[in-house]
Amino acid sequence: MALKCSRLRQRAGAVSTALAMVSMTLAGCMLSLSFSAHAGDKPELRVVAHDSFSLPKELISDFEANSGTTVRIVKAGDAGAMLNKLILTKATPIGDVVFGIDNAMLVRARAAGLLAPLPQSLRDLAISDAVLAADPQAAAASDWLPIDYGFVTINYDRAWFATNKVALPTSLDDLAKPEYAKLLVVQNPATSSPGFAFVAATVQAKDKAVWDWWAKLRAGGVKVSSSWSDAYYKDFTKNGGTRPMVVSYLSSPAAEVFYSDKPLAVSPTGNLNLMGGVYVQIEGAALLAGGQQAGAGEAFLAFLRSAPVQAELQTSMWMWPVQQGAPKHAVMSHSGVQPSAQAIDQRVLTEQSRTWIRQFTQTVLR
Amino acid sequence: MQLRSSFWVGVWPGAFIAVMALLPMLKLMWFGVYGSYASFGTEALSDGGAQLGFWQGWLGLWADDYMRSRMVWSITQAAVSTALACLLGVPVAYVIARHDFAGRDALLRLMMLPFVVPTLVAAMGVLAWWGPNGVVGNHLYAPGSDGDSPWLLIAGNLFFNLCVIVRAAVYGFSAQSATRLAAARSLGATPWRAFWRIELPSAAPHIYSAACLVLLYCLGGFGLALLLGGQTYATAEVVIYTLVAHELELVLASQLALWMLAMTGVLVAMYAKLQLSTAQPRLAQLVALRVTRWSHVGDAVAVLWVWLVCVLVGFAPLLAIALKAATASSEAWGVLWQADTWQAVANTLRFSGAALVAATVLGVMHAACGARLWWWRMWGMLPLMISPIMVAFGLLLLVPQWLDQWGLLVAAYTLLAIPLVSQPVATALAALPPSWLQAARSLGATPARAWWRVSWPLVVPAVRRGMAFAMASMLGEFAVSLFLNRPEWTTLTTYIYQHLGRPGSLQLERAWVLSALLLGLTVLVFVCIEPSKKTNNAVVTGAGSA
Repeated sequence: MALKCSRLRQRAGAVSTALAMVSMTLAGCMLSLSFSAHAGDKPELRVVAHDSFSLPKELISDFEANSGTTVRIVKAGDAGAMLNKLILTKATPIGDVVFGIDNAMLVRARAAGLLAPLPQSLRDLAISDAVLAADPQAAAASDWLPIDYGFVTINYDRAWFATNKVALPTSLDDLAKPEYAKLLVVQNPATSSPGFAFVAATVQAKDKAVWDWWAKLRAGGVKVSSSWSDAYYKDFTKNGGTRPMVVSYLSSPAAEVFYSDKPLAVSPTGNLNLMGGVYVQIEGAALLAGGQQAGAGEAFLAFLRSAPVQAELQTSMWMWPVQQGAPKHAVMSHSGVQPSAQAIDQRVLTEQSRTWIRQFTQTVLR
Repeated sequence: MQLRSSFWVGVWPGAFIAVMALLPMLKLMWFGVYGSYASFGTEALSDGGAQLGFWQGWLGLWADDYMRSRMVWSITQAAVSTALACLLGVPVAYVIARHDFAGRDALLRLMMLPFVVPTLVAAMGVLAWWGPNGVVGNHLYAPGSDGDSPWLLIAGNLFFNLCVIVRAAVYGFSAQSATRLAAARSLGATPWRAFWRIELPSAAPHIYSAACLVLLYCLGGFGLALLLGGQTYATAEVVIYTLVAHELELVLASQLALWMLAMTGVLVAMYAKLQLSTAQPRLAQLVALRVTRWSHVGDAVAVLWVWLVCVLVGFAPLLAIALKAATASSEAWGVLWQADTWQAVANTLRFSGAALVAATVLGVMHAACGARLWWWRMWGMLPLMISPIMVAFGLLLLVPQWLDQWGLLVAAYTLLAIPLVSQPVATALAALPPSWLQAARSLGATPARAWWRVSWPLVVPAVRRGMAFAMASMLGEFAVSLFLNRPEWTTLTTYIYQHLGRPGSLQLERAWVLSALLLGLTVLVFVCIEPSKKTNNAVVTGAGSA
């Protein structure tokens, strides 16, 4: 009896297998039809980018039409995860071009052998004075093309400071006082790039004394979040949290005006550009070593520096254009004057970034 | 011959799980230990494991204060969540299993909603309700507190998992013989004694197996822990994520992942064994539902208690989301008129649909091959045991050239959905009394006909339930965001993330509107795949395992 029964089940299995094959094939056909819109004779350019990369479809289509290629954008997580994924897949590159390597990651990317040299024509593109002044070393790179730049700084909630009649802190030392430390939320440098940027800026400003400063901040009650979204949307008073100061970007107040449900004359948030609390970040693109389509890749890099992209990226990625003479979007004025921050020496950054993260974890988290 | 046909049914799902889950993890570990660190361009990558030896380092992980505290916290939060879920869930299930009250059916169905809500949406909902500035949370925290609380993650766990316990316990209490209970009562047992001596013991295996599942979800859960645990209350899974994605400390990550695998492995083995012991033949006469009389104080209190627990733990966070969306400005609602939104909806349905087909086929094949073999069912649970981060990064090393192909993304969705289909189907298959098939055979039916006319109709509800679960959970799958993505594949979940990644109140409001849309979509899909039947039998035939 038992034998018969198990034979039954096997027969049943056979039927289900048959059904399985038929339905899988059907589904496969259906899907390959619906996904094959891209297949064509045109060569395909694979662009690896971080998750924040965003440009209007029309711009990309224009590029495709002009260059005779198909652009395939591959998003690989946040900037840090993207770099790690590129390093792991170095032997079989997952892209031909990368967008989103910033001046802080450049040395690591270079040491891992990810970047291919750029042609002279791209290196000759004129860079704005602000970028040249902030990081002359990166601006002169021969294997990396600056595309946009921005600043990491502290944002504050204007309404909170006005209603609570608290004066704004005016220096990093002010910030470390308990009455201010308990108003601030920062991000963990191990998991968040603005978090790392802010720590790096303070190391540059305070040198050896920096961990004492962070210890004071901790004693005063600073909060550490794991990501920018967490800090901005969960902890910042502007969005219902308990902290009226948050480590964010210089462009955030402008974005607040741009993405407001009603027209605003003044941004609800402001920038607190403390001396030593501002970090300048330059994002760039590069040809990946081992990638194909070098020609199309170069064309894409040039396209990223073209006037339409340099204008568009200001409100799609909230960065400033690096191309000399590129006009600034009107809404950007809500972010105030750009502070004069000096980029940190890349070699120092590469050699010490791990130590900083470890020190930060020791001092502030554990 | 027999062995061979069974082998050919099972080899596909078995191999799929091995190739998609186990192999990437092993590859990543191998690379971590033997890979060339020089190519990373950093000096510090190999500290830890390389000098010590991998296995020594593995054992030594418990000696490291930080790692130990993370593992202990992982276990603690899972245990506390599970205990609370049982304490709250079992009484609720008992009332539902015995009482017929207005909205009972709706409640049973609504209860599944939290389980299938996208992780991000759930986290936002839990915060809006229990968070430091939430509706209830406002009154729970000490003034001036940070809002970093271990209870947030536990509240999130309860939100997700209470329904798992309740559904299983309702099944356990419902699938009891009315005659047996009547016999006990007529022999003089008080209702209370009958509950302790007959009803609870016979429901217990169901409750235990659900508890194992909840422990597994809480211990191995990644998305919720990342979003609600914050920095202070990071679980081991979150630490693995940080180690792999941000620090490229593959050795340390592998060691930690192995410990987690060992722990989840024990849980899943227990779960698989318990599931087999609950696989009993269906009973002819079930305990009748008792119509609630509101004039009866006990009845009224019981039903009110049920609603109170469900509303507080399960529905309030969802209501908070609906409220946020409803109060969003018309500008924010404009997002529904944008082409990108509907493209995202189409992608969501397309990816989940494709993965649903694959997961159903593979899941049913897996269940059909060895519904009664505990180790085989354990193998089917592997996708829930292995850290998704290890899988995502392992695949990078294994098949870098396929990573930007949609097929791989669908395969990743499929992998995570297979257990949701295969487990209920296997439970239903194992519960079929062999005599029914034998009767059909001796009456002259061919094996295929007997299967088609007897087994299949009886497991169809389980298949549909599994599909509903799989589909709904795929709509908002969080772990898949760890894989490579492409803008033209943007799903609703990634689209919500994109909004939360930028400053501006409009962005946040749009995220709420989109979350409400995703919630609505999930409900719609759930209702379509699993239409309601208003009998106690409907609960019994399908709800076996959540």
